[in-house]
Amino acid sequence: MDFKDIAFKVIISLFAIFYYLYALVVSKQVKIMDKTLQDEHNDLIVFVTSLQVTASLVILIIVLFAVFII
Amino acid sequence: MENNNKKGSVFYSYSLNPQAKFNTQEEGEKVYLLLRSHPFTQIGWFLSSILFFIILFIFNFFLPNFLNFGQIFIINLFYFIIICSYIWFNILNWYFNVGIVTSKRVIDIDFYAILYKEITNAQLGKIEDTTVKSGGYLESFFDFGSIFIQTAGTEENIEFLDVPHPSDAVQIINKLLSKKHGF
Repeated sequence: MDFKDIAFKVIISLFAIFYYLYALVVSKQVKIMDKTLQDEHNDLIVFVTSLQVTASLVILIIVLFAVFII
Repeated sequence: MENNNKKGSVFYSYSLNPQAKFNTQEEGEKVYLLLRSHPFTQIGWFLSSILFFIILFIFNFFLPNFLNFGQIFIINLFYFIIICSYIWFNILNWYFNVGIVTSKRVIDIDFYAILYKEITNAQLGKIEDTTVKSGGYLESFFDFGSIFIQTAGTEENIEFLDVPHPSDAVQIINKLLSKKHGF
């Protein structure tokens, strides 16, 4: 494994971790915003935000799997 | 409040008598009007998103020269989720930045970059003056502009920026003020 591969794996791992944390923060804020203003599409907003958190977790697992197993 | 001919329009950015509620709403306080920025003002990030997708498409012609398939897949995946997050971030910013006119007060709810929240409200009795500013070709064509509400004393002034049908919104506020002051 050369330096380029190692650097690539470190960068994508860090990115996946930070993206997961970002998705968690957004999810937390959306809950606050949902409490502040309840409008007719809030359920959809909360649902899509949950999807974002789930997707970020799946991406993190895929990346960690790719980095450590493959 | 049934004096207005626009029941709700422009992609939920002008809702008359909406079903919306907010957390500091008092007993018996009725929401008459809910305003968001006109969708046309969101065109900047919308076009940027399309441009980012085009850049991703073009990049894929050159990436195979430098990276293997797995790396290209991961880069595409990350680039794609960055664009989606950017779109979602802007939608949230638009959706939760609202102006509300109720039977008792006018409220401006702002979320800056999602993380910072600012809620300003002015009781109808404290409102001194309302101003509509709408200038320019696009504002006139799409009928949107900004409303500035000046309050008495130390209360903060309120701004509803780039909202649709600003004249109609001010008309509603003025009617509520007239009712409040008994004119």
